[in-house]
Formats: sequence, C-alpha cells, structure tokens
Amino acid sequence: MAEREHSTSAAPDAVLRALADPHRRDILRLVQHDELPAGQIAARFHLTQQAVSQHIGVLKQAGLLTERREGTRRLYRLRHESLEPVRELLAEFWPDALGRLKQAVEAAHPRPSTRKP
Amino acid sequence: MTAEIRNDLVLATEHINAPPEVVFPYFTDPTLIVTWIGQRAELDPQPGGTFFLDMGEVAARGTYLTVEPPYRVVFTWGIPGNDELPPGGSTVEVTLTPDGDDTMVVLTHRGLPPTEIHSHRGGWEHQLAQLREHLRLAAD
Repeated sequence: MAEREHSTSAAPDAVLRALADPHRRDILRLVQHDELPAGQIAARFHLTQQAVSQHIGVLKQAGLLTERREGTRRLYRLRHESLEPVRELLAEFWPDALGRLKQAVEAAHPRPSTRKP
Repeated sequence: MTAEIRNDLVLATEHINAPPEVVFPYFTDPTLIVTWIGQRAELDPQPGGTFFLDMGEVAARGTYLTVEPPYRVVFTWGIPGNDELPPGGSTVEVTLTPDGDDTMVVLTHRGLPPTEIHSHRGGWEHQLAQLREHLRLAAD
C-alpha cells in the first residue's frame, strides 16, 4: 500500500518473468537480507560468473534488485517492495475466501448469545 | 484474518466461531463448499478422489490427497488449460485446530506460481484476477 516513487519500477510481467527461473529465485533468496557482491553470489551456486551476471541483469531490469557500488565491487540486495504486486495478488485470494467461509459457517451455526465459556 | 506469501507459498488463517466438526464439511461437502467458494462443486473426499470447483468462466480441478475429519484436509489445485497452474500443479493444505469452542483455520497453498510460471504473459495473473472477481460476484 506504500506510495513510493521508483524510477526502476517495472511491469508485473517483467517481475513474473524474472521470477520464473529457479536460479534467479535462489539469488533473490540469498540477497533478501544480506547485501552481497556478484562474486559471492556466484560462489554459492554451480554457475559461472557470466551466468550469474546475466541473471542479475534480468533481476535488475525487473526492478527486483538494488545495486550499490563500493570501491570496485557492486553489491546487490533484494528490493522487497518490488514483489508487492505479486505478493498482494496471491495473498488476497485465500484470505478473501476464508473470510467468506467464516461468514457462511457462522451464519449457518449462530452461537446462542447467552452462552458462557 | 492474516495472510503472507513466502517464496512460492501462500499462508492464510481465519478464526471461526464454530468447532472443527462444523467447519470441516465446508471443505468436503459440495453443497457447503459453494457457500464460500465457487458456484458448483464435484467433490469425492477420499485420497485420490475428485476435487472440482466450477467458478463460472474459471474452474479449479485437483484431487484430494489427505482427508482426516475434522482436523486436516489436503487437495491439489489447478486450473484446466492453464499451463502455469495446471490441475495437480499446486497443493492446498487445510488444518483446523480447536481453539476453545472455536476453530483456527490455517490454509497453506504450496507450489503456486511464480514457481510454476514459465513464459506466458500474465497468464496465471489474469486467471487469478478473474477468479477473484468471480468470487467477489458470487459472494454478493
């Protein structure tokens, strides 16, 4: 719900496509709490540095990663807010349904108001 | 009511003022399930049995994996014709925990896109949005 300005905000489609690859999801998990340089990300996977660079490029373009320079290193971290549209979409479906379940059950089985625990 | 999504799973919880024995059939009885989700249901609540929900333009199809009244039910869930979320492609686990005379419902939906998503543009996203719209309409 937060209203923020992001010059790198990408369409949900780009986010979904970026998330479609298991390696990219692994990379995101790795940098969701810690800011890491590309070399350290590559070291965690059986991937070449080049492959990791490509994945990072896709994630960056989708707005899923922030990049920060520190000397000659580039550090990456997940932009949590970029997952918000996907999160909201999925997170609404079942809660909405369970809310209706609650209404349906409680309407069909009203508790006597005099009942004490 | 709360919800969260971690990686590829959705977790939703709801507190209901009725015991699990009352709530459970709402996941297994076709006439009860449509009071909160879908318009028509074909349910065969036994392991391997059909789970089918007609929601108008969209349907959900799967099979029951575990049926343990009145505390736990697990079924697969997918949308026929949808490559990103095919029938059997994801799993819904529902646990009903007694809370005094009430029930805490915990629903976990695993294996959802984006894990299963491949290359279609907004396919499942559109389907889910449509699904949600139908559910809203059905609830009115």
